[in-house]
Amino acid sequence: MTVFNIQFAIEHFPEVLKGVPITLSIAAVSIIIGSVIGLGLALTRVYKVPFLQQLTIVYVSFIRGTPLLVQLYVFFYGVPELLDWVNKTFTTTWNADNISPMWYAFMVYSMNAAAYTTEIFRAAINSIAVGQMEACHSVGMTTWQGLRRVIFPQMFEMALPNMGNIFINLIKSTSLAFAVKVVEIMAISKMIANQGYNFLEMYSVATIIYWIICLLLELLFYYLEKNVGKHRRKTAAVAN
Amino acid sequence: MDSSIHEWGTLFQQVLSRLPLTLLMLVASLMVGLFLGTLIAVIRIRKIPVLHQLMAIFISFSRCTPLLVQLFLIYFGLPQLLSAFGIYINDVAPLIFAIATFSLHISAYLAEVIRSAYIAVGEDQLEACYSVGMTYSQALRRVILPQAFVLALPNMGNTIIELLKDTVLAFTIGVVDIMGQVRIIIGNNYGLGMFQVYVVISIVYWGTCAFIEVIIHQLEKHFKKGRINVAKS
Repeated sequence: MTVFNIQFAIEHFPEVLKGVPITLSIAAVSIIIGSVIGLGLALTRVYKVPFLQQLTIVYVSFIRGTPLLVQLYVFFYGVPELLDWVNKTFTTTWNADNISPMWYAFMVYSMNAAAYTTEIFRAAINSIAVGQMEACHSVGMTTWQGLRRVIFPQMFEMALPNMGNIFINLIKSTSLAFAVKVVEIMAISKMIANQGYNFLEMYSVATIIYWIICLLLELLFYYLEKNVGKHRRKTAAVAN
Repeated sequence: MDSSIHEWGTLFQQVLSRLPLTLLMLVASLMVGLFLGTLIAVIRIRKIPVLHQLMAIFISFSRCTPLLVQLFLIYFGLPQLLSAFGIYINDVAPLIFAIATFSLHISAYLAEVIRSAYIAVGEDQLEACYSVGMTYSQALRRVILPQAFVLALPNMGNTIIELLKDTVLAFTIGVVDIMGQVRIIIGNNYGLGMFQVYVVISIVYWGTCAFIEVIIHQLEKHFKKGRINVAKS
């Protein structure tokens, strides 16, 4: 037996590819939901909304301060207990067994992404000069209109590179979703590897797939950035 | 194993005795990472011909491969590579290898963070610097970077906290940090009392994270220096 059975790796490559849509859907859904929640939470912190601001601080601290695996377990074992309690108290008949593991993954990863995007958006909003908002007010826009039409579009320019960081981290952390029985790239690799102890081969396959996904994401973010930063004239280029 | 107060106390003591090592790894790699990250960010913004492409590849590699792989590459690969050139570094402490890996890893993330902050400062500031006759490096040092670092603080908080959680991997190359201590305690108890130990380490990590958050918040407040944001606060 050779150390590295390349035939085996190539043979099982397509099987591992079946996990790609699942990994991508977890990451995509959670970055979208997380961004929306994160934007709202960032606004509560920028505008210092009395009660919500403190709540946001505790939430962000908790999510960033505890391991993702712990959060997954808490939800996976906590939600059925909660449903049990709700069923007993309100005599409803919700069955926790009907909840697909994907929903737990969506929930936890969205919450996780929300905490990180909160900080990203807060930094981005803070980077925009107060004069922009004053200009909006002076032409009769409401604060919300000013935010939507003037502040947000400028904000994304600073947010995008950081969103790239978070998105790539999110892709890599989806490998933990096996803990709540979601069968994604890493899980499939492990299961195939277990049958014949071909761990090195299958981990290599997983590494290549993850790298390709991340490379494509980097390209995507690169083009997005180019698009968002269109209006800028690069002084650095002029100086050269 | 009963859960008396005394035992919780000893557990905390045992785990906390290793906290300085974790903090050392964090701070040391942060310092190096911050320096390298700023350098890479400037290289990428100025689009310096060959370095610019090299740095893009470096960032891609650092962010797209697992940290564990990078750690093994440096810990096992680097001594072999250097011994081919007649340099012998096998007796260097694992801690140094860990710090080196974490520095390189975080510099890629920080480069992106600082680059975004640099762009947010805006080119009019640079033009103003040129108009009063500053050179580029003067403008960078006196005007652009001080502003960029303040804008980057919340995102740096994200990255630093991720790094803190990543330092658990150092135990795989034999650095006994707080996670290593926990594994040793569990090993000594033959796997008993796992729940208590993990509760203790969660609290220690959360405490450290909260501490970092407080520091970042204070820095933000201190360096704002009258700059008002969109909400006029």
